[in-house]
Amino acid sequence: MTADEVLAAAVRDEWGRLVALLLGQFRRLDLVEDALGDAVEAAARRWSRDGVPDRPTAWLLTAARRRVLDRLRAEAMAARKAPLLVVDAERPGGGAMADPGDLVEDDQLRLVLLCCHPALAPEVASALALRLVVGVTTADIARLFLVPEATMAARITRGKKKIVAAGIPYGVPGADELPGRLRTVAQVGYLAFTAGYAPGSGPDLLRADLAGAAVGLVRVTLGMRPGEPVLRALLALMLLQHARRDARVGADGSLVLLPDQDRSLWRADEVAEGLTLLSELAPGPDPLVESYRLQAVVAAAHVTAPTADATRWDLVCDAYAALERVNPSPAVRLAAAVAVAERDGPAGGLAALQGLDEALPGSHRVPAVRGELLARLGRDAEAAEALDLAVARCGNEVERAHLEARRAGLSAAGGR
Amino acid sequence: MKRYVVLVAYEPAAWADATPEVRRGYSDAHHAFERYVEEHGRRLSGAPLADAETATTLGPGTGADRVVTDGPFVELAEQVGGYYDVELPDLDAAIAAARLLPSAYTVEIRPVVEIPDHTPL
Repeated sequence: MTADEVLAAAVRDEWGRLVALLLGQFRRLDLVEDALGDAVEAAARRWSRDGVPDRPTAWLLTAARRRVLDRLRAEAMAARKAPLLVVDAERPGGGAMADPGDLVEDDQLRLVLLCCHPALAPEVASALALRLVVGVTTADIARLFLVPEATMAARITRGKKKIVAAGIPYGVPGADELPGRLRTVAQVGYLAFTAGYAPGSGPDLLRADLAGAAVGLVRVTLGMRPGEPVLRALLALMLLQHARRDARVGADGSLVLLPDQDRSLWRADEVAEGLTLLSELAPGPDPLVESYRLQAVVAAAHVTAPTADATRWDLVCDAYAALERVNPSPAVRLAAAVAVAERDGPAGGLAALQGLDEALPGSHRVPAVRGELLARLGRDAEAAEALDLAVARCGNEVERAHLEARRAGLSAAGGR
Repeated sequence: MKRYVVLVAYEPAAWADATPEVRRGYSDAHHAFERYVEEHGRRLSGAPLADAETATTLGPGTGADRVVTDGPFVELAEQVGGYYDVELPDLDAAIAAARLLPSAYTVEIRPVVEIPDHTPL
């Protein structure tokens, strides 16, 4: 591996542990991230020139630690205090944790819980967690959530300020509180994951690679709390959906719908892991766990079908029906209607769309589905009308191109 | 230790219509909050406040430019009904204490800050 590759791997795999270690020692959220960023920059210059150190992670930790101490000394000088007082800012015994291999697992759990504290707004928490735990750059987080980079930088800064000002602790709560806090972690991870699959307004249809960072967050947390059902259900759901990412966009950047995807591009290892996790989950009373589990059941039905025609739509419909009871949202009802159409035929799907126009006003998805189902019934004039509405409402270029192609393919397309 | 002001909001009618039994429940809940604070930190002060209809609000401005109006900051069904000024280790402790307050309350926790270059007289 080249020096750059070693550095990239260290940043990808160790960022969260390094932040956790530094935070454990110095408790200065405002200094730690910058110091680590500086250390990575220094490594990028030095390693290619002087050679890669034997223990890259330890090198980064030492360099970052030195930078935090420099800043603390500068602050102490500015406050006209003796530089020696800087020692007070260090956690007692912190020096004993020089080797990242000695990292107490709890430090990383503390970091996850800090970023995913319920006192932080979900969009702030997910940005902080991706930045501090997974090491995603601010620019990439901005891209994931479809906001300008400056907005995202301000959001992350606001989050850090709130943590310090409100006194959000760097600690692990008691056994009675911890499960609730881990649910918040799951919700934060889910938000970031679904952001990666939400179509944007431009040509950048899928930001699925970035959704992978949310999978990383859940994996890290699950590594520390392996038995937590909410995290296991969420990871199953994520893996089974995320495994299809390479097949969702064609070579020309166009959207490839599920039936047309090249199934050999799906990641077999992730499918296998997701199915194993799912098989170990029994239905339970917890609505959040059930919501993730049932979405995983739907994803599993798709990834285990050898061909699109062989999809077990009966299982998908059952899962959606259960999901509607747990989480009765219009988006779930729309997905359920699509599944009903596949199981019972387009007429059944049209009937299941009843009332969704009112529930999802302005959405292009309801007329898009209606247009597709009408086209399958041969009611081309009505289908064209619905697809025209969908095209007019759709804000995503790739999706709109797909809808326009469908509209143009109708035999009565020009005859309305 | 961090210093927090814990503001409680409730619907005034809920208290006015409360039976003696319900009022004892409120009192017990406040005692539980106060005990928690004493065990984990310190209570600096705290008081119930008269109804918001007795509040007087001054708008922004200087001197006579400040418009004096009848009523609280914002007119809502819920009104700030009291406060505690406490010291506790961190936000989780403040949240744990706030959970003990009467169930009808909405509770806001605000960190107290020191304003640089300003020393109270």
